[in-house]
Amino acid sequence: MIGYLLRRMLGAIPLLLGILTIIFFIIHLAPGDPTARFFSPQVSPEVIEQMRHNLGLDQPLHIQYLKWMKSFLTGDFGYSLGQGRPISEIMPEVLWNTLQLTLVSLVIIFVVGMLIGIVQAVRQYSVADNVLTVLALFFYSMPTFWFALMLSLIFALKASQWGWPVVLPSSGMATVGTEWLGRGAILRDRLLHLILPATALGIGTAAGVARYMRGAMLEVIHQDFIRTARAKGLSERTVIFKHALRNAMIPIITLLGLYLPFLLSGAVLVETIFAWPGMGSTVVNAIFQRDYPLVMATSFVIAVIVVLGNLLSDVLYAVVDPRIRAE
Amino acid sequence: MNARKGLVGAAAALCALLAACGGGEGGAGGAAAGGPVGQPVNGGTAIVAVKSDFDAFNPVTSTALTTLDIVKDMLFTPLIRYDEKLNPTPYLAERWELSDTAVVFHLRDGVTWHDGQPLTAEDVKFTFDLAKAKETASLLGSAYLTMVKSATVVDPHTIRFGFTAPHAQALDDFWWAPLPRHLLQNVAPSALAQAPFNRQPVGSGPFKLASWQAGQAVTLEANPAFPASMGGRPRLDRVVFRIIPEATTRMNELQAGTVDVNYSVQPDEAKQLQGQPAIHVFHYPSREFTYLGWNATRPLFADARVRRALTQAIDRNRLMAAPFMYGFAQAGSSVIPPISPMNPGLQPLPFDPAAAKALLAQAGWTDSNGDGVLDKGGQPFRFNLITSASNRLFSDVATVIQQQLKAVGVDAQIQTMEFQTLLRAHKSREYDGIITNWTWDYFRADPTPLFSCAEARKPSSANRTGYCNPQADALMQKGLAATDPAQAKAVWTEFAGLLQQDQPVTVLFWAEEIGGVGPRVQDVRMDARSKLANVTQWWIPAARQKR
Repeated sequence: MIGYLLRRMLGAIPLLLGILTIIFFIIHLAPGDPTARFFSPQVSPEVIEQMRHNLGLDQPLHIQYLKWMKSFLTGDFGYSLGQGRPISEIMPEVLWNTLQLTLVSLVIIFVVGMLIGIVQAVRQYSVADNVLTVLALFFYSMPTFWFALMLSLIFALKASQWGWPVVLPSSGMATVGTEWLGRGAILRDRLLHLILPATALGIGTAAGVARYMRGAMLEVIHQDFIRTARAKGLSERTVIFKHALRNAMIPIITLLGLYLPFLLSGAVLVETIFAWPGMGSTVVNAIFQRDYPLVMATSFVIAVIVVLGNLLSDVLYAVVDPRIRAE
Repeated sequence: MNARKGLVGAAAALCALLAACGGGEGGAGGAAAGGPVGQPVNGGTAIVAVKSDFDAFNPVTSTALTTLDIVKDMLFTPLIRYDEKLNPTPYLAERWELSDTAVVFHLRDGVTWHDGQPLTAEDVKFTFDLAKAKETASLLGSAYLTMVKSATVVDPHTIRFGFTAPHAQALDDFWWAPLPRHLLQNVAPSALAQAPFNRQPVGSGPFKLASWQAGQAVTLEANPAFPASMGGRPRLDRVVFRIIPEATTRMNELQAGTVDVNYSVQPDEAKQLQGQPAIHVFHYPSREFTYLGWNATRPLFADARVRRALTQAIDRNRLMAAPFMYGFAQAGSSVIPPISPMNPGLQPLPFDPAAAKALLAQAGWTDSNGDGVLDKGGQPFRFNLITSASNRLFSDVATVIQQQLKAVGVDAQIQTMEFQTLLRAHKSREYDGIITNWTWDYFRADPTPLFSCAEARKPSSANRTGYCNPQADALMQKGLAATDPAQAKAVWTEFAGLLQQDQPVTVLFWAEEIGGVGPRVQDVRMDARSKLANVTQWWIPAARQKR
């Protein structure tokens, strides 16, 4: 197993370097450059040239590439041209912000999605099954940005106007002034801030997971070994959660591997609407501003996560399925 | 999402300082809304929602509008400020002697940097030299200080600036704030844009930087040692700028009372807010004009009559109303801001499709084959109209203009582009017509970069229409050199008249700046100077200081 993991990781290195090389040239070949933000009519082209020189953008592309590669290989991502600070300072901050959001929504996606799917499969064609199917379809088809805006409208604005006991914060990661409170209060405040964005980010995907779970579970429930388990007198709970669930997990684990990178990179809309300073908005801003070093650093992180996500789901297959382990 | 948010990368980076006066809506901020609130008291935290993160709290390197508002009004002390009528008033400089060739500023005594060091004329000269250094590639030095040649320290509290030539509105060269020499003298000018100072500035203004959580919030706190002669300690303890990119979220927070000030309100939202007694909407003319630029280097638009005809074919009033600007815009004929003292107050060319057709016929454009599109020498009047894909307002406006031009037999093909791609086409003059905007970041009227012949054929210069008229050149030279305001205004009026005839660009409208203020913070005033012009006067009644 360890040897397998190592092989996979080593195999990923040329893949990552290839991805980074392609992205480097694509982003540099895109029209425009970071000095485009100085678009005052009074700035003369000579000054723009000087800025390009200061940023090293006047050198031939292959030299820029080699320079970037060299500093990248020594672990230096350089300076963000848009934010004017080292990327080594930006990335941990942004990644941690995103991770808080996506981990919570990942929990929502899989816990809620799987539970609903199991209930539906066990009670196939019941009223609950039908209602949940309609609800799942409803949330699955809802555009994220619209759902996010509705959440914020109802649970933040209307809740405060109608005097509800709980008003959820509609933006940011913390209430102004919380930094002087104790740890418990800070944690509670952070969780409150997480509810709306994590729900908006997770609900549609959770509905999708529920559909997959229902399908996979139904397939398993009707197989012989489940009848055997019931026949030997196991409780229904044990049958479902121990015998059936484990066998129905394979497609869900594939989904987990696929969603992991998506959650770290694809939360742009939710991050923007809820003013959550994470990876999604950082990547998009970096691309719009042609902040080359930051584009490269974020691409690297996303590429690594995609590779790791795939690896993780392969490892999890082996954990749940002894047949794969044996190979 | 909403139209104007799309520009984020670009608009956030617009380098601009609010200037010029006028407009605005009456004084008393939330007082009208919250009933009688008594005498101003100190204390409390105001929360301001802004659209995007700040770039660098450094007057020499920053290029972002909101950042420079904070630099000028809160963190640093510019040499001069402006009153509501846009007359220069003493600030760091308590008085000055202005002549045609130089200005001598006498700095106030007792102003210190936030670290306790005294602020002297050496700091002012250091900042000027830094801005002028070629390696800095500073916007300040290259764009605003072109008419200022040198700085000489006379004594620790006196500094003399020499001009390259006599020019009008010379004091407007000095809106910027000095940087602390003792903290920055070892930073190479080419590395200034990345100096750690920009994120941990030590200023001299009424507020100090307390914290900056990137992408989330910037907290400024009152500077208790701020000299009484310059206004003394601000009334608020703290001002927190929260970064909320989505317009709807900013609105929700303002209405829920979780933020006190929404720094950028969309026109449609402003309309909605105006019906709410608890919210006060400030709006005033900005220095940003939205225009349709005609590429004069293309044969199609080389004839001024054609450009004039197209201007008359566009109903600009319709663009200023709902569902575009909802009335939060002003008509303008010239490219000099309607709020500038140099604005000639010329009426824009009227919307008149019949006159437009006649002019086009004069220029040789007639519909000889009856297909509804004008033609000349067998060529149909068809052109590409490009605009930014991320700005929904612009693409909507383009569609309306397309319809209106069709009515006079002109076929505009709309093409939307990613912003940087658009910019490249614009800069290299590889387009027919473009809908975009300029923001004047200058207190002084200086349209030369946009319209002078010297810039007309230079690659990637600001004269992106390629317009060249020696008569306009002469007028601009005269206007810039006139030191008497009345005389200068006469020249600019003549210039505006000429531009009215030539129409190198069709000014569609001047958008207004809009800010919303909730009921908690009192005495907020926003006008053409800045949305923070009187931030030191903002206060919160004692009963409402705790949230």
